[in-house]
Amino acid sequence: MKGLQYQLKSVLRDKFCLMTFLLPILAAAALNFMGSIDLSTLGELHFGVLENDLPPQTVTWLERYGPVTAYGTQEELADAVNEPSTNVIGVKADGESLKTAVSGDELDIFQQAAATLPVLYEQRKDAEQAEVQVLERPDILENFQGIFIPAVLIVAMFMGCTFNAVNIISEKDDGVAFINEILPMTPGRYIFQKVVTGFLFGSLSSVITACICFRLSWQNLWIMLVLIVLSSFVAALMGLFIGRFSEGLMTGVVYIKIVMLVFIAVPIVCALLGVNGLPAAICSIVPSRPAFDGIMALSDGNMGTAVKDAGILAVHCVSWFALYVLISAPHKRL
Amino acid sequence: MGKDFCALFKKDLRMLVSGRFFLMAAGFLVLYTAYVNLGYVRFMQMPPYHVYLYDPAGTQTETSSLVQNVPSLKAMDAALLSDANGVGLDAGSGDVRVVLYAGAEHIDHHRSDYALSLLQPSAGSAPEILGTNTPEQKARKEITCELLFFELAAVGFLGIAAVLFKEKDMGVIRVHAVLPVHKELFLLSKLAIFLLSDLAFALLLTLLNLGVGDGAAVLPAVLLQTAVLSLIMALAGLLCALLLKDFRQFTLAYLVIAIFAATPVFLSANTSVKFDWIGLHPFYHVYMGLKNAYFGMAVSPVYDIGAAGAIVLLFLMVRPAFYREIGKEG
Repeated sequence: MKGLQYQLKSVLRDKFCLMTFLLPILAAAALNFMGSIDLSTLGELHFGVLENDLPPQTVTWLERYGPVTAYGTQEELADAVNEPSTNVIGVKADGESLKTAVSGDELDIFQQAAATLPVLYEQRKDAEQAEVQVLERPDILENFQGIFIPAVLIVAMFMGCTFNAVNIISEKDDGVAFINEILPMTPGRYIFQKVVTGFLFGSLSSVITACICFRLSWQNLWIMLVLIVLSSFVAALMGLFIGRFSEGLMTGVVYIKIVMLVFIAVPIVCALLGVNGLPAAICSIVPSRPAFDGIMALSDGNMGTAVKDAGILAVHCVSWFALYVLISAPHKRL
Repeated sequence: MGKDFCALFKKDLRMLVSGRFFLMAAGFLVLYTAYVNLGYVRFMQMPPYHVYLYDPAGTQTETSSLVQNVPSLKAMDAALLSDANGVGLDAGSGDVRVVLYAGAEHIDHHRSDYALSLLQPSAGSAPEILGTNTPEQKARKEITCELLFFELAAVGFLGIAAVLFKEKDMGVIRVHAVLPVHKELFLLSKLAIFLLSDLAFALLLTLLNLGVGDGAAVLPAVLLQTAVLSLIMALAGLLCALLLKDFRQFTLAYLVIAIFAATPVFLSANTSVKFDWIGLHPFYHVYMGLKNAYFGMAVSPVYDIGAAGAIVLLFLMVRPAFYREIGKEG
């Protein structure tokens, strides 16, 4: 217990270490604030017209579909249409009808919209009379925030990994690691102390992040807590592995970066591509994938999947821990 | 002077090789290329809305080939539930009724009108094409630009700082105070080696992901912008290494850059989300410079002057910090 106290003391004295843990929390707060920016407008249609080219009622008609911007000259309009970050559709009068212009590099959905716009214009009278039944969209991940929040949580959960790795590497650099080896301390105690420090701060930071981002019922809260605790534990263990295998700060940084990249990229890519079956099982070898999957399932209210993911994480905890103990055991006899 | 520079350059090269710096860069190159060619280009597709028609009496005779017929209202509900962006048309009760799940208001109007228009025969006129890129070329250019920026600004920056902190810890920087070489050579050899490796990285990344034809066309402009970004990041890395106490402090500065500096830039530059204050964000201009280079758009001379000014300013800040470091008592 005393050793643990020392570990915590050295962490608490390092203000910058503490701030690393605060960062995901800040990011979560920023995301909450960003929620006020309506990301659902991303797929919206934007139109560019020439000043005094279209009659006002046509512009009003276009505005039903999306924002309309007027440009002074032909060149300005062409530049706006060609601008790679937007999907502006150029609209010009063509006698009684309309003529559209696109850059040619838009996604199919925008090209199709541009191609059919003149037809929609011709049929605008009929369309107004049609009966439209708008259904309430089932509450699944309304916009991109749904994927941002679990991503921030994953970063928070796996912060313990970075922290532990850097901690151990700097101990190696300072020579404290050698002193540790001759101290009357079993490898088990050493692992325990190191894991606990990274784990405590990692889960603390994730809990606060989760509180900011999620509004959960009590029942879901427990599963969430289990997910956080398990993945923080795995992350802290990963940190030990990185610390063990890197010879210096530089190689350590390389390993941390690769591990972080894999941890963040794999679950997000899996979620975006909707991977199922065997590939999904292979991806679950990366511990952040069940964690991410579990959080996504929780925000969908899908308890079964969340519990299953917690189970996978538990298996991860046990097997990584066993592996670490296994590789550090022969070391003791030296 | 030339010989001294060569000796320093060789030493830096050896240090980077032993630190697996190039191995990491090669690894990232492979990773990025695989991501672009196997994942991103396939993923970035968005077909037009699917339209499902329930028409038991066969009243709609001239429907477009884009309309899919469904046998029952239940089948239509199921189709819409699994494809929430789709639109259902119910012609079972005489007049056509549009059924859709709510999205953004403007898009809902468009979706319903679009679906109805598919029931009428009409020769839609093909839109005029103003640009030169195909969707795939655009996707490739966009993602390559993002990855290059990320690699240089975040990953490269961290590598640079790691190397410099190591030298600082070993006291190599202070040793230079007593070496009979020109002091600026130390800084120049560092900048040169990172610049060269970044340029090589940019060259390979561009050619591998854009293809030789497209890549070669934009390469001169891209390399120029890469040089600007690389020099800025290398100087910033040097400054951090000289001013901050240890590497752990640096990781904080790094995280701030990675999360808070990069996210709004990516959002503003790649999507139609525009922040009013983004013009004040220095990285936004650097990113736009790189992006304009990829898309063959003109970069304003104000930006070039600004970038050159920033590099000179950073260099002038690094110099006194460097002299302070080598002047310190060990």
